[in-house]
Amino acid sequence: MAGDTPMLDDLEKGPWPSFVKEMKRAAKKNKAAEDLVGVVELSYKDKITHWKHGGIVGVTGYGGGVIGRYSDVPEQFPNAEQFHTMRINHPSGWFYNTKSLRTVCDIWEKHGSGLTNFHGSTGDIILLGTKTENLQPAFDEYIEHGFDLGGSGSVLRSPSGCVGPARCEWACFDSLDLIYDLTQSFQDELHRPRWPYKFKIKASACPNDCVAAIARADFTIIGTWRDSLSINQEEVKVYAEKGMNIQKDIVANCPGSALTYDESNGELHVQPEDCVRCMHCINKMSKAIKIGKDRGATILVGGKAPILKGAFLSFVLVPFMKIEPPYTEIKDLLFKIWDWWDEHGRNRERVAETIGRRGFKEFLKGVDLKPVPQMVKHPRTNPFVFF
Amino acid sequence: MSDITSDELKQKILDHLKTVDKTKNRDVAKALDEEKRMVDKAIGELATEGKIEYLYLNGSYITLKK
Repeated sequence: MAGDTPMLDDLEKGPWPSFVKEMKRAAKKNKAAEDLVGVVELSYKDKITHWKHGGIVGVTGYGGGVIGRYSDVPEQFPNAEQFHTMRINHPSGWFYNTKSLRTVCDIWEKHGSGLTNFHGSTGDIILLGTKTENLQPAFDEYIEHGFDLGGSGSVLRSPSGCVGPARCEWACFDSLDLIYDLTQSFQDELHRPRWPYKFKIKASACPNDCVAAIARADFTIIGTWRDSLSINQEEVKVYAEKGMNIQKDIVANCPGSALTYDESNGELHVQPEDCVRCMHCINKMSKAIKIGKDRGATILVGGKAPILKGAFLSFVLVPFMKIEPPYTEIKDLLFKIWDWWDEHGRNRERVAETIGRRGFKEFLKGVDLKPVPQMVKHPRTNPFVFF
Repeated sequence: MSDITSDELKQKILDHLKTVDKTKNRDVAKALDEEKRMVDKAIGELATEGKIEYLYLNGSYITLKK
């Protein structure tokens, strides 16, 4: 049982929300949460984690969605000896009603510690702390209420995407529908580990990339357009009248030097072939500048955090693809990537690392794609590449 | 690769798993000289039937249910 916790108490100070405060609230109602406070305090004191993870834990038929966690100090904190995590697949765009949220929490208070994490970095609802014997009953109850486990281990992690057209005028495709469709289509890949390591799909419906897909996903889908952004000259004039320095703040910051501003008539013009879709002008002058009409997405591959090798940003694989139901083109590409990676990837090797080891040329052959200039890093500044 | 039924493939997988402590789908497919996608499907069914289970030890593996 947890005693004095001076180090954790220190983390409650300050104006920001504190996880310690929430753990202590849960500890009043739940023995496992009470011992969790003690384990975490001890970890800070000893400057080492007292958690081990892995082994066989899960629910029948699933190989992902549960992360086994055990304390290495069970004699001191017996109620936190097993403190497994469950991941619940989030809805597209993280839309819930309060009834759904209460259901999630009520089930977890019944079968687990009551502690949650909304949301984990994969996007899932993270339910912290339960025993092996409680996993199946908790899962059965979540299934009964229409929820399912998310991914963990060497599986397809729960696909996630931005809020898209539900709230954003810049969405170049329906990220909510795409993520829902991919989640439903790849249930087997999500629940049954079969690959060298994890694989993440994230979709941002415009180049602002609100879900940071470029840095966090092995398969990155970022909305873009093929034609030109559109400019409403009357609205441009309104911005100028209100004091915006269009030349300095917009035109001079255009990375492709695609914009020109004529102060004599107050008109802003764009050279579409020089626009690199950075979104700066659209973000700053949202009433005057709109995204193009021929919309789709750029597909990139290889984003990841450091594990075997350092952090990678995704790199361009398909410069433009229409993203429309039933999403056959994108699914075909995914299957080709998975087949190639599954054949050549080493254990715990992310797809970017396999590509790095085997070569991009071999990867492109494996997925039936031809090299194009957009695959080159900074193609517009490379004198050997023309496009 | 052989032309075997789903039940025969599942039995071959179970027999193979008796010879190893833990393994991955790809290694099962190679050992049995069967198509990986068929092996993935059969392993998924065996997991649903409760005959095998998944193990996480620095990567995911399958093993016979003890």
